[in-house]
Amino acid sequence: MRPLTHNLLSSHVRGATEVRINPVEFNPDFIARMIPKVEWVLLLEAADTLHLVEVPKEPIQGYEHNEEFLRKMHHVLLEVEVLEGTLQCPESGRLFPISRGIPSMLLSDEETET
Amino acid sequence: MSDVQEATNQLLDVNLCENQMSIQVTESGPRSESEHLQVTIGATVPTGFEQTAADEVREKLGSSCKISKDRGKIYFDISVDSLAQVHCLRSVDNLFVVVQEFKDYHFKETKEEVLKDFEDLAGKLPWSDPLKIWKINTSFKKKKTKRRKINPNSSKQKIDNGRGDTTVEKDVKEFTNSVSDSQILDSYENPAIKEEVSTLIGDDLTSCKDETEENSKEEADPEVLKFRVTCNRAGEKHCFSSNEAARDFGGAVQDYFKWKADMTNFDVEVLLNIHDNEIVVGIALTEESLHRRNITHFGPTTLRSTLAYGMLRLCAPQPTDIIVDPMCGTGAIPIEGATEWSNCYHIAGDNNPLAVNRAANNISSLLTKIQVKEGKLSLGLPIDTIQWDICNLPLRTGSVDIIVTDMPFGKRMGSKKRNWNLYPACLREMSRVCRPGTGRAVLLTQDKKCFAKALSGMGHLWRKVHTVWVNIGGLHAAVYLLKRTPQSFFHPSEQDGERCPW
Repeated sequence: MRPLTHNLLSSHVRGATEVRINPVEFNPDFIARMIPKVEWVLLLEAADTLHLVEVPKEPIQGYEHNEEFLRKMHHVLLEVEVLEGTLQCPESGRLFPISRGIPSMLLSDEETET
Repeated sequence: MSDVQEATNQLLDVNLCENQMSIQVTESGPRSESEHLQVTIGATVPTGFEQTAADEVREKLGSSCKISKDRGKIYFDISVDSLAQVHCLRSVDNLFVVVQEFKDYHFKETKEEVLKDFEDLAGKLPWSDPLKIWKINTSFKKKKTKRRKINPNSSKQKIDNGRGDTTVEKDVKEFTNSVSDSQILDSYENPAIKEEVSTLIGDDLTSCKDETEENSKEEADPEVLKFRVTCNRAGEKHCFSSNEAARDFGGAVQDYFKWKADMTNFDVEVLLNIHDNEIVVGIALTEESLHRRNITHFGPTTLRSTLAYGMLRLCAPQPTDIIVDPMCGTGAIPIEGATEWSNCYHIAGDNNPLAVNRAANNISSLLTKIQVKEGKLSLGLPIDTIQWDICNLPLRTGSVDIIVTDMPFGKRMGSKKRNWNLYPACLREMSRVCRPGTGRAVLLTQDKKCFAKALSGMGHLWRKVHTVWVNIGGLHAAVYLLKRTPQSFFHPSEQDGERCPW
């Protein structure tokens, strides 16, 4: 599971016991356009929990043309893969495992009824 | 314009009238001319997606298409060096090279006369250029067959009669790992194949040594090609059957070429497509084994990738769109998406752990192949897999741009009764995660009644924009394109229930 995927989830990463870095070809246009869709608070949380490089508190002014910034974001969003870890739902506190890169987020029948 | 091209153009416009049965036979020009050979290619596509396929042909090959009245077929012209790229088309099930097209064929009164005409026709068609194309194409296929498992049993269904009065059914393609790998490989391997084309042009057509590798060992004479004729006939007023046409036409073809007829282990497949007054004679460029198998209601449910491609194209993905398949099964749609629209981000999800694992395996084996092919810095595939419940998606509200999925038909997966509850719940949850205003959904289902009912209560969230009628393994299904309205989603407890659309 990549941090970009994590950013779309309503649950947040609580811990990771196995993380892999995969080099991925840098596409500045893709990253620049993706920035507005990123939920920055979640990203900061993930970067912190996963001990990733320093992520600025918010997108830099003129980030579209700032290659250093874009490269950093590219690394943080796409090149990190959480293979084993845990996600937590902020509302219910329920924990979900991540195993072999795949989060398992099924709720039990009881949980879905509430 | 070269002689060949001119002749080809003339032939395409030929209208056959009752008394004039003789057709110009185009002899091949000098070797140097064959490099500029123009050829008409016919392609079968999922019915309903003819326009989508035509768009792809225009985009990738620069050719405009003619969409046939015979559903599920398009025609376009290319130069022979684009032949490799034609195999890259993602919306096309099967390809053939057109030998001759008759737009308004005059059938004689009696069956005997009609069949005699077919026999006479065989020796008068302009075979040589199409056969050149077939030969060039065969050298591509040799590369592919090493990877693709061809099911020998599938030949049993390949009999030389057509499907009677109805148009040919399109069937679900089994999306096993090996097939998916070889399909997806095609898009990566073709630059190498393109080089081969120029070296093959000008080869002596009669040299059949290359083909003998594929022939059965029983074949004594390596120079003699094996062939069969497949006839598809559709129309109310024909006095003959496709079986009879194939038999008599095939007999004449055999006499003309001295080829050997073989229903299962053939080199050349001649196509005789008859749709009312329109006849197209062609030579197949792809194998039909997996596509034309008649599926009963307990066949595989995996979507064939041409349909997945058509569905994705329908929603016009924009760069960095977040595209989610919340019921992905083996991942056919997201995998197609990640390969063709790699500037988008794809998420494959399913509740079934088997499906999720299989999707993940398909993705990782594809990644490995890319890494081997392209070197250590891979492009990566912009796709992730999650196990989740469609009715409780763990996605942030309004975070998804496109939802594209194959909903349970209620035949093999789930049940009609279950759909009654599932469909509204799905649509509701999908409307929550889908971005208001710009978001859209492309949904395939056979349970049209249930879908219509589920949608009817959601006019404030979803607007139906377009419907494509498709045929999935004999079942009449529909692909619905929905647009997400600008209205934000509120939790049902806050909303005043689901009212009918404005």
